[in-house]
Amino acid sequence: MTGFLQDIGLSYELAVLVAKALGVAVVGAFGLLWTLLGIWIERKVAARFQDRVGPNRVGPFGLLQSIADAVKIILKEDIMNRHVDRWPYNLAPILSTLSVMLIWAVIPFTAAWVGADLNVGVLYLVAVGSLGTVAVIMAGWSSNNKYALISAFRAVAQLISYEVPMVISLLVPVMLAGSLSVQAIVKSQHIAYLFAVPMTVLIFLISGQAENGRGPFDLLEAESEIVAGFHIEYSGMKFGMFYVGEFLHAFTLSVLTALLFLGGWQGPLAEKIIPLGFVYLLLKSVFVYFVLIWVRMTLPRVRIDHLLNFNWKFLVPLSLINLLVVAFLWKLMPDTDQINSFADALGPTLVLFLANVVMFAGVAWWLREWARRDREHIEARRAVVAEPAEATAAAGD
Amino acid sequence: MFTVPSLSDLNLAATLPATLLALGASVLLVLDLFVPKGRKALTAWLALAVLGVSLIVALLSLGDVVDLGTGEGAFFGLYIADSFTDAVSVIVLVTAMLGVAVAYNYLERTGMQRGEYYVLLLFSALGAMLMGAAGDLVTVFVALELLSIPLYILSGFRWRDEGSEESALKYFILGAFASGFLVYGIALIYGATGTTAFGGIWAATRDLLAADAATKYVLLLGAGMVLAGLGFKVAAVPFHMWTPDVYQGAPTSVVAYMSVAAKVGGFAALVRVLAWGLPDFVLSGQSAAAWQSTVWLIAALTMILGNVVAVAQNNLKRLLAYSSIAHAGYILIAVAAMGTAGVANEAARAVVIYLMAYAFTNVGAFAVIVAVERDDGGHTDIDNVRGLAKEQPVLAASMAVFMLSLAGVPLTAGFVGKWFVFKAGLAADLVPVTVIGVLTSAISAYYYLRVIWFMYFEEGEGKAQIAWPLAWGISVAAIGTLILGFFPYLLSDMARGIALAFGG
Amino acid sequence: MILNEWVFVGLFFLLGPVLLVVPIALSKWLAPKRPTPIKQDAYECGAEPVGLAWKQFRAEYYIFALVFLVFDVELVFMFPWALAYNKLGLFALFEMVIFVLLLVVALVYTWRKGALEWS
Repeated sequence: MTGFLQDIGLSYELAVLVAKALGVAVVGAFGLLWTLLGIWIERKVAARFQDRVGPNRVGPFGLLQSIADAVKIILKEDIMNRHVDRWPYNLAPILSTLSVMLIWAVIPFTAAWVGADLNVGVLYLVAVGSLGTVAVIMAGWSSNNKYALISAFRAVAQLISYEVPMVISLLVPVMLAGSLSVQAIVKSQHIAYLFAVPMTVLIFLISGQAENGRGPFDLLEAESEIVAGFHIEYSGMKFGMFYVGEFLHAFTLSVLTALLFLGGWQGPLAEKIIPLGFVYLLLKSVFVYFVLIWVRMTLPRVRIDHLLNFNWKFLVPLSLINLLVVAFLWKLMPDTDQINSFADALGPTLVLFLANVVMFAGVAWWLREWARRDREHIEARRAVVAEPAEATAAAGD
Repeated sequence: MFTVPSLSDLNLAATLPATLLALGASVLLVLDLFVPKGRKALTAWLALAVLGVSLIVALLSLGDVVDLGTGEGAFFGLYIADSFTDAVSVIVLVTAMLGVAVAYNYLERTGMQRGEYYVLLLFSALGAMLMGAAGDLVTVFVALELLSIPLYILSGFRWRDEGSEESALKYFILGAFASGFLVYGIALIYGATGTTAFGGIWAATRDLLAADAATKYVLLLGAGMVLAGLGFKVAAVPFHMWTPDVYQGAPTSVVAYMSVAAKVGGFAALVRVLAWGLPDFVLSGQSAAAWQSTVWLIAALTMILGNVVAVAQNNLKRLLAYSSIAHAGYILIAVAAMGTAGVANEAARAVVIYLMAYAFTNVGAFAVIVAVERDDGGHTDIDNVRGLAKEQPVLAASMAVFMLSLAGVPLTAGFVGKWFVFKAGLAADLVPVTVIGVLTSAISAYYYLRVIWFMYFEEGEGKAQIAWPLAWGISVAAIGTLILGFFPYLLSDMARGIALAFGG
Repeated sequence: MILNEWVFVGLFFLLGPVLLVVPIALSKWLAPKRPTPIKQDAYECGAEPVGLAWKQFRAEYYIFALVFLVFDVELVFMFPWALAYNKLGLFALFEMVIFVLLLVVALVYTWRKGALEWS
């Protein structure tokens, strides 16, 4: 590409710049266009969970439904509350999508296709990703709407709370790979980290889902309580931006999971036939995406006190314990700093896997105990309430 | 490639007093959560135990009974473990123990009893200790924050009272401002010398002066800003504004501890920065370190302002606040003396001696106010001690001892402290400022003796509430003040081992 | 070479917003614009809004933000540790255990003090 641009008379630096700019356009546009497909996938899958057919009128299998929606939303009138705080109000939808799109800058699509292989990639992910929270708060506050405000406060409590276990779980692949570069983490997965540290993956997915404000954690836009939440005062394309941002976020979470824990583009022949890696990555991501939709469609919304308790009293301690256990075992095993092949990785992976099984068993036992005690507590209380009633009933006879 | 550090490189044993205190404070923070509300005496006892253990270790190390590997330092030079560290630790720990003893009943009867009080006190004591142990400007800063932040909270401990809240807020805002100065100064010093370690700064200063580089002015500015930041902590003029308001508003038991702990920490850090980091920062054509003239000027101003304004005070807490400003001035004479080559060791010893004497005396004096004060925080005027000698002869006698010691009357600890400080000042040829020190001491005698006069020779109904931990604290302070006054060699022995690592 | 990577990120920061502003601008150009006073009221499910929404709110949210701040700052310190972990000795693990224990002390404190309760 650079060569071609130089041929048509550009200087080397300019050629590099133009090539990079084109790269940005391709990656960004791919992200946005993929959303259209992603929405279709989501609607189809969701429909199946609810025993419906889903979009099926526009185009084959309703594939063009998203495009029709996009055209419609562009033609919608933009209604704006006259009391809004204009600057943050108009910036929020853009920031919301941008925070996710910027993540795509460091995603390695194949062994060779990577926008920017930053040596601080994971830190970049965390930094950029948390901009989304700011967008939500900006939208909620600037809308000057009570529902939106409540939603923004919930965002403060929920989104930032769940960032803690998410970042802790991100430390694990960084530690195992010894690098913050996403590409290096992918390359170091001779066996996908999913098998070595399933607990971490679970924590990452749960907290990621909460960060995203989807699934059982959609308190930010709980229809029955606060109508549409922080984007209640948005309409037309600005609302569309939030919509795009949310879907892109969900899919980006899947891509990140695929990259950090499922081996990314790695697969048979991926090193030789470069585009094949892209297909592997997409397949893995869509698989994770499917799981996320599954969770979203299955579980009912949690209450805010449960939500916060679950994070601070369960997820955060668990993720810290998990981190220390993995770190301890990793140090205990010899030669973990020189894993260069499948064979090297096999031993440590097995050990960590067994440790995770033990941890899962422990957590399951603890949760059962906790639930049992909770149940007994409730029963005891119910008995206290019921007794006088029975006594009166008996007296009445 | 960097060398992989191992556990033994940390030399944790050398930091034992501080480490024990840190561990104890953290454990106590958690333990206290499980102590039921009415039984916070347990927390107080545990805090005393933690401080006691740490004090014993520090004393053993100071007396060369056990060798903790001092002299080598710890944490890769961030922590210096020498006699100065041990001496500062002892002073701080004694202050903190007295602080706990003074506080318990007071908190109980004013309804402020909370376990956090003791935990915060432990943490701030740790901060003060670390300031004495600092081998690096970064340690100074972290320790300063560790010392200050608990004190901000403690100042606001009577949080239903506007005065206490105002005091906390004022202290916090001005304190944060001073910290900003300190950090900026540290940045400038780092910019000039390329290091934050005192040893490195010392070496870089020599090169800087040898090369006569213009960056020496950056260093000068940096040192000035550090001086301002720490000057705030020790309440030196012109950074003293907060002192009277904060002392008056904060709960008295807090002031008893804070007035000494903050001063000890601030001066310890000042000695470390100036005598360890910048002792040879002598500009061409001068005989003493570049910061000496500034410091003695501040000392003179501080003594004059503190003592003169104190004369006009009728509230005991305010009076002691100005008195504490004045005492910062006396200690600054010794700090200034450190700038003269050859006197530095003696001057550093004088600082430690003065602080030790001041610790017993000042905590004691505030403890008496704690006893006199009513549950609502009022009743702290000088009128309220009228005729106290009839009602509470022992208490009044103790107060008299403290006042005489603060005034610097012979056979009290205060006299010994002043003696050594003035001696250091004269040894460094700082005659004018020493003369100011002597003259202002004479002024101070007026307002200290006035308190005694009110207690003994005025009619009135001075009342006090004393329970045994408070009585215990006051007696220890009074006896300590007298013993150190009668046997000055105890103090000079304690400071004997203090010697500067570089230059001097 | 590293800088070259950052050029891409920088371009993303510059061009990304453009990609997002285009549809909004397009909509502004194509969509109808017929504002009425009723339309421009805050949406409260049809009820007439009383007053503005910028009011005082519960401090609980603020406490969570504070707790988060403690954790987030400490987590930043854990990244270099994780990065260099393979090169460090058992010493690093020991250090991190102490570090995490300090975090746990903070967590236990907030927990017991009821700062994590939603009342």
